[in-house]
Amino acid sequence: MSKLRWRPALGNASLRAMPSTHDVGGASGFGPIVREVDEPPFHHEWEARVFALNRRLLQLGFYNLDEFRLAVERMPSEAYLASSYYEKWFIAVERLLREKGVLE
Amino acid sequence: MTTRFRCGDQVRTRAQNPEGHTRLPRYLCDRRGTVEMIHGLFALPDDRALGASLSTGRQETLYTVVFEGREVWRERSAEPLFVSADLWDSYLEPEPAR
Amino acid sequence: MSHHHDDDHDHGEHRESASMASRVGALIAKLEAKGILSEAELDAAVEAFLMNTQHAGGPALVARAWIDQPFRARLLADANAALDELGIDMSHWAKVKLRAVENTERVHNVIVCTLCSCYPVSLLGPSPTWYKSLAYRSRVVREPRAVLAEFGLQLDSSIDVRVWDSTAELRYIVLPRRPADTDGMKETDLAALVTRDALIGTGVCATVQRG
Repeated sequence: MSKLRWRPALGNASLRAMPSTHDVGGASGFGPIVREVDEPPFHHEWEARVFALNRRLLQLGFYNLDEFRLAVERMPSEAYLASSYYEKWFIAVERLLREKGVLE
Repeated sequence: MTTRFRCGDQVRTRAQNPEGHTRLPRYLCDRRGTVEMIHGLFALPDDRALGASLSTGRQETLYTVVFEGREVWRERSAEPLFVSADLWDSYLEPEPAR
Repeated sequence: MSHHHDDDHDHGEHRESASMASRVGALIAKLEAKGILSEAELDAAVEAFLMNTQHAGGPALVARAWIDQPFRARLLADANAALDELGIDMSHWAKVKLRAVENTERVHNVIVCTLCSCYPVSLLGPSPTWYKSLAYRSRVVREPRAVLAEFGLQLDSSIDVRVWDSTAELRYIVLPRRPADTDGMKETDLAALVTRDALIGTGVCATVQRG
């Protein structure tokens, strides 16, 4: 039995339009797995900063990890497929901060 | 709080995912599996993603469920494959024994 | 398969990266102006994170499990307790439950997160880009042997392949098999044989060729 007592932050319409592009288990067409020899932990300083930024905002409680995942999943399909991993993170973090009223 | 399943129980994942964030992958919807491990209560991500706190959102028992490859992909293969996922109680229904 | 750049790709990627650097910097500056966090603090956090994950906690767990059978059993039963035993700090902003799954002569394990890219980051450091790729996430649950073959790993068809999809807040590492010809090796030398790919399941540990 549900014990929901709060109002969900997102309206249903926003979720009904949500793509499920991220749910790729078993999907075909993504080709060979490209590997980089001796790959560094981060390729660019901005990636490391996005990593640390997200961790810090989670730690500070601006949003939780599932809200973050949902923000990534709500990206338009094309953007999801075209963006690099940390680009997706950055887009999600910016969106969450706007929706939470931290950014105008 | 309910823990509806025990290790070794046969379960079937729900046929379809609801709108919004959830952690049952599509490829594992409507599939028969076996409970392999029970992990205690975890916050349901479906609620947390909508802003629920740890006290207002549902907490449900989390299970590791193992699926045979031929059940998941509906393909016979000579080579044995098992896929497992960590799934919340409300993602699962009991599956009658065969 | 290795990744290479050509000139055009390099210039394009440089532009994109400069653009991202500027956007990220701008966001951090706004947050700093609001007193929420600072760029210096974030940079320090990255340093600390990289230093901590370079201490190779994963290989240490494996090497101990290879030489100490009761520890192996404890690791498989409760990996978090095993980490505490070895004094390995899986530093993270929230508590993470770790599970080790063992390879045997009958079973080979592989880890994935098909839905996003969950990975034991606070133990192993950032995941490799291929782990996060759509190609890996989509294919390894369906055709793991073909994926492993791309990594140079051929498995006998009699071996069970078990793929663990990290859909919740459990994180997984593979306990790979101890390579042959390693009797009497020091624990630290054994740990040096444990590769990250072996901990994910896309590789195995091999002995170092002795001259």
